[in-house]
Amino acid sequence: MERFVIIGAGAAGISAAQVLRDVRPKDTITVISTDEKVHSRCMLHKYLGHERDAQGINFVDADFFEKHDITHIACQTVDKIDTEGKMVCYGEYSAPYDKLLIATGAGFFIPPIPHFREAPNVFGFRDLSDALKIDEAFARGKRVFIVGSGLVGLDAASALCERGADVTIAEMAPRVMPLQTDEYAASVYQKAFEEHGCKFLLGIGASDAVVDGDGNITEVILSNGDHVPCDFIIMAAGVRPRIQIALDSGIAAERAIQVDDHLRTSAPDVYAAGDCTGLSGVWPDAMAQGKAAAWNMAGVEEVYEKPYPFKNTSNFFGVTMLSAGRLDLTEGADVLVHKTAGEYKKAVITDGKLTGYLSLGDISNEGLYLYLIRTGTDLSGKTDKIFRLTFADFYGINEKNGEFAYQV
Amino acid sequence: MKRIFIDPAKCDGCKNCTLACMESHRQDGGKGLYTLDLTDPANQSRNFIVADGKGGYAPVFCRHCDVPDCAGACMSGALQKNMENGLVEYDKEKCAACYMCVMSCRYGVPAISPDRKRIIKCDFCAHLEEGPACVRACPKQAIEVREV
Repeated sequence: MERFVIIGAGAAGISAAQVLRDVRPKDTITVISTDEKVHSRCMLHKYLGHERDAQGINFVDADFFEKHDITHIACQTVDKIDTEGKMVCYGEYSAPYDKLLIATGAGFFIPPIPHFREAPNVFGFRDLSDALKIDEAFARGKRVFIVGSGLVGLDAASALCERGADVTIAEMAPRVMPLQTDEYAASVYQKAFEEHGCKFLLGIGASDAVVDGDGNITEVILSNGDHVPCDFIIMAAGVRPRIQIALDSGIAAERAIQVDDHLRTSAPDVYAAGDCTGLSGVWPDAMAQGKAAAWNMAGVEEVYEKPYPFKNTSNFFGVTMLSAGRLDLTEGADVLVHKTAGEYKKAVITDGKLTGYLSLGDISNEGLYLYLIRTGTDLSGKTDKIFRLTFADFYGINEKNGEFAYQV
Repeated sequence: MKRIFIDPAKCDGCKNCTLACMESHRQDGGKGLYTLDLTDPANQSRNFIVADGKGGYAPVFCRHCDVPDCAGACMSGALQKNMENGLVEYDKEKCAACYMCVMSCRYGVPAISPDRKRIIKCDFCAHLEEGPACVRACPKQAIEVREV
């Protein structure tokens, strides 16, 4: 009997636990997490917006651990891994392992702005515990200053706008969601947020702060010298892989925990998956990594191919968008745009291949564009109908099992 | 484990399957094609047929894949592969309408609902004892339910 231990109960950790249980019905599986409850980070805004409770943002069944006979040690943070004695240590306890998975995710990052790192009213928006803190702060004051207008910042803003907050978002880039949008798409989102009472400060950053006697930030000082009064601050200016545990345990890590193509770390029988590997920051890739690592841990060899990280969808106030590939790399490329009432699509085509795709509005049936980008499929002869492509243009059927198969 | 097998050579593009799907999932309480509003996006079909330009047709139906891209991308737990019946099942109450599944399905099958609050995807007509309406509507037996 083998003992499997997983650190972290996010997308990677939970999907690994599920696969391990499927493959190894009798072995011991333990999940140790700082989080009290399993929750989907991508749904935190539903919790903050009081649309759902904590169980409502759980992405597995409430009885997941009992049902699968998995031990969940919650509210415990692993401090160190004894890679020689094969033991994880948390607080005064320790747990032995035969195979270990590190799935510690990523944490929010606070840039070195004076007072920001020390102030008790500066929060991240990554974990349920962050949402709880914001909820408490919101009960005391409704003026919110959000640093960063990426998906995390806008998630928080949309939830708080719905609850009547006075939200100001500062974004260093000249437009909102700079990684996913172009100017036009950004303007549509900006307008939707402004209609819900949100204020944007674009191309500007926070550079200092005024604090009260308790160290709480009462005013943010912008890089242009303006002061913006606020009750609390949400940091959404990027995340960093949580690698401290690897550093403290002699496991190779720089910005992220280093893994090979089997998701093995530098320590024997220790694997890593999800955001802590720095390979990608999106949910589907964390799930896939958790599964691949689990197969390898169970002794079924599975090569994990590097993910294609440039992809995302968003849905704020009913404005939906799919963004894939590199919209920013247009040198030597053809940029095609299709615009009708309520719809906006853009394709970047480089050497007969799709390298970027943006769709705002009805994104139905458009998953194939991500596939075409990530596989570099040759689209010669098809680019004149780039916005009308369907799987029918690559139609093929696997006769054995009836599944589809691309014909190119 | 069941799957709707497709024989594109038999398809003559009549779209009876598409109409049957729309009728099977209509929410207005009505019955019969004569009262089905074909222009209402709420009635959109889960399958679609595309002319291949060479006289043939490509029927695109959810495969309920063995390793589904959609369920692998789902961050709410709304989409799950049921290992017993083989279906990729959708729980609209759990769905957070993030549309990661729409982005991730390499065959471009899932669609989004007009209210932008859920997805539209084949459910194998779970509400019908006799099974998928599309299959029964096909006059050419180009689609059929088979065990895999």
